[in-house]
Amino acid sequence: MSRSSALRYYVLSRLLLAPLMLWTITTLVFLLLRATPGDPVDAILGARAPEEVKAAVRERLGLNAPLWLQYLNYMGSLLRLDLGSSLTTQGQTVWQIIQVHFPATLELTVFSMLVAVTVGVLVGALAASRPNTALDAGGRLFGIITYAVPMYWFGMVLQLVFAVQLRWFPIGTRFPLTMTPPQGWTGLYLVDSLLQGNVQAFFVALYYLTLPSLTLGILISGVFERIVRINLKQTLRADYVEAARARGIPERRIVFAHALKNALIPVITVLGLTVASLLGGAILTEVTFSWPGLANRLYQAIEFRDYPVVQGVMVFFGVIVAIASILIDILNAYVDPRIRY
Amino acid sequence: MKGFVFFRPLAAVRQPWRSLLQFGVLFSLCAGLIVSCGAPSNPPSTASPTTTSASPSGNGRVTMGTTQKVETLDPADAYTIFTGILLYNMGDRLYTYTPGTTELAPQLATELPTISKDGLTYTIPLREGVKLHDGTPFDAAVMKFSIERFIKNGGGPAFLLSDQIATVEASGKYELTIQLKSPFAAFTSLLTFWGVTPVPPTAYEIGEGKMQPTSFIGSGPYKLAALTPDAIKLDANPDYWGEKPANQGVDIQIYASSANLYNTFKTKGLDIAYQTLEPDQISSLEKDASAGGWQVIEAGSTVVNYMTLNQKLEPTKDLNVRKAIATMIDRNLINQRVFQGQADPLYSLLPTSFSTYKPVFKAAYGDGNFEQAKQLLTAAGYSEAKPLSFEIWYPSASSTRGNVANTLKQSIEKGLPGLVNVTVNSAERATLSKGVDEGAYTTVLLNWYPDFYDADTFIQPFLSCDQGSPQTLCTKGASQGNGSFYYSAKANELVQKQRAEQDPKTRDALITELQDIMAADVPYIPLWQNKDYVFAQNGVNGVSIQPTQQFLLWQIGK
Repeated sequence: MSRSSALRYYVLSRLLLAPLMLWTITTLVFLLLRATPGDPVDAILGARAPEEVKAAVRERLGLNAPLWLQYLNYMGSLLRLDLGSSLTTQGQTVWQIIQVHFPATLELTVFSMLVAVTVGVLVGALAASRPNTALDAGGRLFGIITYAVPMYWFGMVLQLVFAVQLRWFPIGTRFPLTMTPPQGWTGLYLVDSLLQGNVQAFFVALYYLTLPSLTLGILISGVFERIVRINLKQTLRADYVEAARARGIPERRIVFAHALKNALIPVITVLGLTVASLLGGAILTEVTFSWPGLANRLYQAIEFRDYPVVQGVMVFFGVIVAIASILIDILNAYVDPRIRY
Repeated sequence: MKGFVFFRPLAAVRQPWRSLLQFGVLFSLCAGLIVSCGAPSNPPSTASPTTTSASPSGNGRVTMGTTQKVETLDPADAYTIFTGILLYNMGDRLYTYTPGTTELAPQLATELPTISKDGLTYTIPLREGVKLHDGTPFDAAVMKFSIERFIKNGGGPAFLLSDQIATVEASGKYELTIQLKSPFAAFTSLLTFWGVTPVPPTAYEIGEGKMQPTSFIGSGPYKLAALTPDAIKLDANPDYWGEKPANQGVDIQIYASSANLYNTFKTKGLDIAYQTLEPDQISSLEKDASAGGWQVIEAGSTVVNYMTLNQKLEPTKDLNVRKAIATMIDRNLINQRVFQGQADPLYSLLPTSFSTYKPVFKAAYGDGNFEQAKQLLTAAGYSEAKPLSFEIWYPSASSTRGNVANTLKQSIEKGLPGLVNVTVNSAERATLSKGVDEGAYTTVLLNWYPDFYDADTFIQPFLSCDQGSPQTLCTKGASQGNGSFYYSAKANELVQKQRAEQDPKTRDALITELQDIMAADVPYIPLWQNKDYVFAQNGVNGVSIQPTQQFLLWQIGK
C-alpha cells in the first residue's frame, strides 16, 4: 500500500472511530451525572418550592422516567444534533450557550497554546544547546515547576503581581466595561475587531487576553520544554550534526537551523494531546480571571446539576479533542515522511 | 533496506516546513492589510486600555461590580437576589416600598387594594399613562397577562402566586380584580415581588417553559441595553413615568471570584462594588476607606442564618438534646471570630427590623450557657461515659459557614469537655439540598432569603406542615423541605390564623406566639443575621441599601 493510501485509510479509520469515542464520553457523562447526588429540579425551582410543583416539573422533563429511557431519549436527541435546553436558564438551548461562551474559550486556548509552544520550545532549545550547564538545569527545573504548580495559584500570583501591584494588566474579564466589545459573527474579539478594522479594540482585547493566556500557556509549556530538550539533545548527537560541525558550521546555526527542526516533530504530536489539557486548564484559568468562557459556564452547570448543559458541553469538548487529534495526525504525516500507518 | 540517513528526512521535511512558514507569513500579511486598510466601524472609545478603564469616565454612567450570576432575566423565572435587583430597576410592580422605609406604597396601582370582607377579593385601581419600554400602553389587560404568565409558565417562583391566586380579571381598563384561594394577609406585600411586573403580551408568551432569559421589556426606569456572559448594561429610560434616574445608565461587570471584585474596586476600576465580598475583604475595605478614597455603606439585611435540627434522627429527636444544643451556641463568639462584627446575633427567625421580632432564644437559652446544657444533657441520659455526638453539616462552597461550624465545634468541645463530640461535615450545594429534603443530616447550617417583606415568609416556610402527625412528624410540607420535619398542630393552626387575620395587632400577637412555640420546640436555632455592605468611590452619591434589601440604581449619581 502506498504511503498516501495508507494515510487515507488511517484517517478514515480515525473518523469512523470518533463517533465511538464520543458515544463513550456521552455515556460516561450521562451515568456519572445521574450517579452524583443532587436534584436538577432544585436548581430550576429552588429548594423551597412545594413538593407537588417539583414533581410536576420532574414529570415534564422526563426525570421520572427509567434511566434507560432517559438515556435512549438523550441519545436520540443527540443523533438529531439536538443538545437540549438548559434547566437553570429556561428558554436557552445548549447550542446557544455554546455559541455565546465558546469563542472566549477558543481565544484563550489558542493564545495559551501559542504561549506554551513558544516558551516551551525556546526554553527547551536553550537547555539542550548547553547540556550539563546551569542553563540545562534551569530548563529541567522549569519543566518540573510548571508541571507541579497548581493552575489557580499561579494565576492568582500573576494577577497579584502584574495586575494589582504593578498594574500592567487588567485584573480579569475579557473587555473593559466602559467600551463596546467588537461585534461579529466569529465572537472572537481579536478576529471581529480586525474584520471591523477597529485597531483599538484589537489591542484592547489582546491586552485583556495577555495575563490569562500567559498563565495557562506557561503552565502547559513545561510539556513542550521537556520534549524539545530531550529530542534536541538526541538530535545533537546524530551523525549529520557531527558532519555539520566538521564542516565548520557555527553551533548556533546547527542547533536552531538544522537540529531543532527534527526535534520539533514530536511537538506536533504533543500539540494534539495538549488540547484536552488546555480545555481542562481553561476551567481554572477562566474562574481565576473571570473570563466568560464555556469552561466557566460548565463549572456553573455542574454546580446546579444542569444535566443537558453539562452533557452538551462535554460532548462538544469531546468533538474538539477528537478533531484536533485527527488533524494533528494528518499534519504529522505531512511533516514527517518517516511516519508509517 | 535503505540505511536511515538523517540528512534525507531533513531534506524531505524542508518543503512542508517551508510551506507552513509561507502560510504564516501570508496570514500575517493579510492580517496586517486588514488592520491598516479597514476603516474603523466604531468610533474609538474615550476609554484607554488601562487597569482603570472601567473607572468613572464622566459620561454620567455608573460602573458596578458583582460576583452574582444572572441566570435569567425572565420575570416569570428569575429567583435569585441579584436578578431580582435588576428586575426591580427595569420593571415596576403594583406595589413597592417608600424608599428608606418598609412602608407599602402604590407604584403601578394608584392606591392600596380594596379587600373584601372575607379577605378573598382584592380590587386594585391602576395608573394611567404608563408605557412599557416598547411603547405598549400599560393597562389591566397587560397586568392580567403578566400575572397569568408568571403562574402558568412554570418558572422557579411561580408557586408564590399559584399557591394564592384563584383568578385574575381585568374588571375595568384600569382596574384589576384578584380572587384568592384562601385569605392571605401578606398578599399586598407579595405583590411587591420583582417578578410581578408587567411585560408586553406582544413580546412574551404564556406557556409552560416559554421563557425569555436574555431579554427584558418592562416599564421601569431602566431599559436593558446589553447582556453578555459577564456584563449587563442598563440605559436610563427617557420616557419613564416616575422619578427619572440620576445617571445615564449603569454598567455591571460580573466577576467569577470575590478576589477579582475586591481588587478591581480597590484599584479604582469600578464605581461600586456590591455583593459578594468575603468578611476579610470587607474588613480591609472598611479599614482603608478614608485612605483609599471610598465610602462604606452598611445596612442590616433580611437574610437570616440558622441551624436546622432533624427531629427524625438521633440524637436531635430528643427535645432536651435540641435545647442543649441551643444553649451551647455562642452567637457573640461567632460574630467576633468569623464575621469580625459584620453580622448581628439573631434570636428568632424574624429579622430584627420587624417590629414583631422577639428574641425568644436569648431569653430561653442565652449564649454559651454550658451549665444549663450540662443539666439538659444529663436529663437526656448523656454523661462523660456516654457523651453526646452530633454532626454539623454545611454547604462546601460557603467558607463562612464552614468557619462557623468549626468555631461551634471548638467552643462546644471546650465548654463541655468529654461530654459532647461535634463532627463537622460539608457537602456540595446540590447534594446538601437533596439530603436536607430527605432528612439525611442531623443538623445543617442554612440561610433564608425572603421573597417579600412580611413576617409570614419567615414563619410559614419553617413551622407549617401540610401532612403529618406528632408520631410520623411532617411527611409533606414546608418544614420537611427545611430538614427539621417539625410537626405541631398548634403551630399549623396559628400559621393559618395569622395568614387570614387582617387586623395588624391581632396578627402581630399570633406571630409572637409562633416565635414562642419555636423556642419551646427548637426545630431550628437562629444564629445570625447578615449585614449587607456596598462600597462606592468618593464622588458617587445616592448609594443605599433599602431596609427591604432592594438596591435602587436610579438614585445613584456622580
